[in-house]
Amino acid sequence: MNTEFLALAQMAVGGGLMGMAYALVAYGFQLTHAAGKAVNFGQGELVMLGAFAGLSLSTAALPYWVSVSGAMAVGAALGWFVERTAVRLALQQRNEGWILLTIIVGLFAVSAAENIWGREDKPFPTPWPEGALEFFGISVTWPELAIAAGALGIMTLVELAKRYTMAGIAVQAVSADQDAAELCGIRSRSAISLSWAISGMSAAFAGTIIAPVTTVGPTMAASLTLKAFSVAVVAGLDSSFGLLLAGIALGATENISGFLLGSGWREAPGLILLILALALRPQGLFGKKIIRKV
Amino acid sequence: MFAGVSLGMRERTAERIVRITVFVGLAALPALWQGQYALGLLTLMAVYGVLLIGLDTTVGYLGQVNLAQAALFALGAYGTALTVQAGATLPLALLAGIAAALVPGAALALPALRLEGPQFALSTLSFATLTIIVLNELESVTNGALGLSIVRPPLFMLRLNATSFYWLCLVALFVAWESSQILLKSRFGLAIEALRDSPTATDALGIGTLRHKVLAFAWGSALAGLAGGLHAMNFGYLQPAAFGYDLMVMLLLGVVFGGRRSQWGAFLGAAIVAMLPNLLSNHLLFSVLVSLGCILSFIPLIRAAISRRVPFFRETAPAAAMAIAAILAFFVPNMEEWRKGIFALFLFAVVVGFPNGIAGAMATRLYQLIRFAPLPLPPATGGVPSSRRSSGVALRLSDLCKSFGGVKAVEGVTLEIRQGETLGLIGPNGSGKTTLVNLISGLYAPDSGSVEIAGTQPARGSLMSACSAGSARTFQNLQPFYGLTALESIMICQQKREKSEAMGWLAAVGLEEKARIRCSEMSYGDLRFLEIARALATRPRLLMLDEPAAGMSKPDIFRLVDLIASIKQAKVPILLIEHHQDVVAELCDRVAVMDGGRLIALGTPHEIRRDPKVIEAYLGSDNTETFEQEAIPC
Repeated sequence: MNTEFLALAQMAVGGGLMGMAYALVAYGFQLTHAAGKAVNFGQGELVMLGAFAGLSLSTAALPYWVSVSGAMAVGAALGWFVERTAVRLALQQRNEGWILLTIIVGLFAVSAAENIWGREDKPFPTPWPEGALEFFGISVTWPELAIAAGALGIMTLVELAKRYTMAGIAVQAVSADQDAAELCGIRSRSAISLSWAISGMSAAFAGTIIAPVTTVGPTMAASLTLKAFSVAVVAGLDSSFGLLLAGIALGATENISGFLLGSGWREAPGLILLILALALRPQGLFGKKIIRKV
Repeated sequence: MFAGVSLGMRERTAERIVRITVFVGLAALPALWQGQYALGLLTLMAVYGVLLIGLDTTVGYLGQVNLAQAALFALGAYGTALTVQAGATLPLALLAGIAAALVPGAALALPALRLEGPQFALSTLSFATLTIIVLNELESVTNGALGLSIVRPPLFMLRLNATSFYWLCLVALFVAWESSQILLKSRFGLAIEALRDSPTATDALGIGTLRHKVLAFAWGSALAGLAGGLHAMNFGYLQPAAFGYDLMVMLLLGVVFGGRRSQWGAFLGAAIVAMLPNLLSNHLLFSVLVSLGCILSFIPLIRAAISRRVPFFRETAPAAAMAIAAILAFFVPNMEEWRKGIFALFLFAVVVGFPNGIAGAMATRLYQLIRFAPLPLPPATGGVPSSRRSSGVALRLSDLCKSFGGVKAVEGVTLEIRQGETLGLIGPNGSGKTTLVNLISGLYAPDSGSVEIAGTQPARGSLMSACSAGSARTFQNLQPFYGLTALESIMICQQKREKSEAMGWLAAVGLEEKARIRCSEMSYGDLRFLEIARALATRPRLLMLDEPAAGMSKPDIFRLVDLIASIKQAKVPILLIEHHQDVVAELCDRVAVMDGGRLIALGTPHEIRRDPKVIEAYLGSDNTETFEQEAIPC
């Protein structure tokens, strides 16, 4: 086969697998947006803190699965914390202050991470075997496969929980109509808190699967927020299937443009596509059309 | 507690006097506070002031979180630097800087401003990231990450030293401040505030959402360009990395910290953002500040404890944040390293504790202490009988259809309203009445069929076009411009902005006493009347009232009936949706009945009351004879 083509395919596959991690972080945006119509502009910071928490637990000689679970618990607690401190009041007052407050909480998180864990990027240990698998001449490493499996696994679990547990159905009721849900005896506050905790948990889990590929550092937060947010908005804030497609597309575009245009230009085509997609379909490629009601 | 001091002066005059004093003080400051470093800080503050006044136009007045300002600042700086390298004079280089930010800013505005909230924030964030990538990678032009050095050009043969350049920046700040204030207090600024509160009403009343948004964004971008140009000449060295996400967050937070929708707020925010690194490096000064913040934030907690109640979140959260800041300040050895974190804590305390920023909190205090002389109001002129005359049919709908998914909300409606006629539109809930009004007023585009208002066919699905054809409407769910006063709400709806005529419209609906009151402080009933006055102020050829009496008290309903009767007398054609039977029976010449999206009957109120199809729609099929027909609203 043509080597040029093979290299491109290799880039696309590697990027696409990474894109599934973006989709997982974006899924966190979707969860909170569905429940309370707000998103965490510091979601990337939660990913970073989750990765750091996992790293600290691993260095304390805990087994891999325990440290990942620990990181997820930390993420859930942080997600709840962000909702309580930054979002609840602003949403009650019906202003856009939550955008700023979530940025502020993220800013503090970066500063804290810099001082607690240091500014350098650190490797993240995993129990996966070394080396790579080959499919039709395209090599895929184990950590990359873990991203795909982990992202799909968590999203499936949460989607199932949303459909088949009472708490999940309550969250869906709140996202459909908060007042009506409250009249039926659902505590909408708890439902919103729950979805922020789940969102934080999936962000932290995303951190533990991204970190083995990219390393952990305070700088990973900002760019992740932007990428995940792009994925969420392009896919539409109400389509979890669209997320995966958009995530894979963004990851692959990034890698290919980095390969063709040079590493500095890596993110540019994705951003241009994003602005265009927003201009043409504000509700997202897979989102439902918004009907204005008066 | 105590009565306010009455100042025999208008608010605006008093503000101007204070501002000029501050500027004179700032200009004299280099004589007292000497040293290159202090001068650099002051210059930076002036530059950031221009930048933040621009940012406040979008973040404060437009109410959209704009994350592109740092990138536009960078574009202005590079535009100026490159033209200086090419040998341009100082004014020309500054103009180039403004253009370098304005052109991409306006280009971004067109697609981005059709978005709202998070989507808007994201598109500006993408633009910002893209800009930094281009500045970094286009090495042949910008010299990439290595940076670009320039020498400050003279201003008309005049060599500018640091002090005189500082004065130039102050002049720029003053000009930006004054012109922003004039612009944002004008009809243009009022329109921006109106569209922040209700874009739908802004379009439906013919004010126009998109062009005002683009203009606001363009103005903010131009100021960013000017600030960028000054910044380039101030530092003489530019690097793309300096204009990244960190700067953007600082700027945004500076505006919020200082206070949105206020030039004073932007100025205060700029001072804080510029001075911040300095504050944090001086340990003593910083400790004083933190202690002060701690004391201030604990006062509400102590008050709550004295009155034995559980403190609110907005009282505990700032205190907790300040307590953490104090712990960091006194116990952490490397405080410099925690700069961002401590800044974040301060910001958190301010945003939660004073949602309107420092300037907002100070203004509230000042209004309690000082009473300014109010602006005089002209006597009312005009009033209802002054509609635009036109001949022919006021409204012609032919075979109008609209469905949402599988639901046929409006199906094959054909209807005419004659000149001077009042047509009642009734029907059970969910029968498609409001959808029909939405189709006529252009909020929805019909799937098929056509709308003709006073002889012209407006563009499909365009509120603006329907309004210029002559339609005006009120909303079933109120769409007031909360940030504006009653008088301002009327004035932006008028073709010619004459205050006396606006007073006339207010008098017509009985609100002339409340002209200076903000909509956010008006009662529900008053807002309903204000919406009618707003619609009348556009001088409609067709007035659509969507359940005007909904939720009104009995005396208000009598007032409403009198008002609609007087509008009717002025020969304005009216389409009236209403459930109150006495209102419909008294006012309407003819009544149309809708059920399930279809028009099932049309006739005089008397005929409609006896129509078996109408009785069936309201009361069910069988027992039509046994019931009194009181459920039918006519």
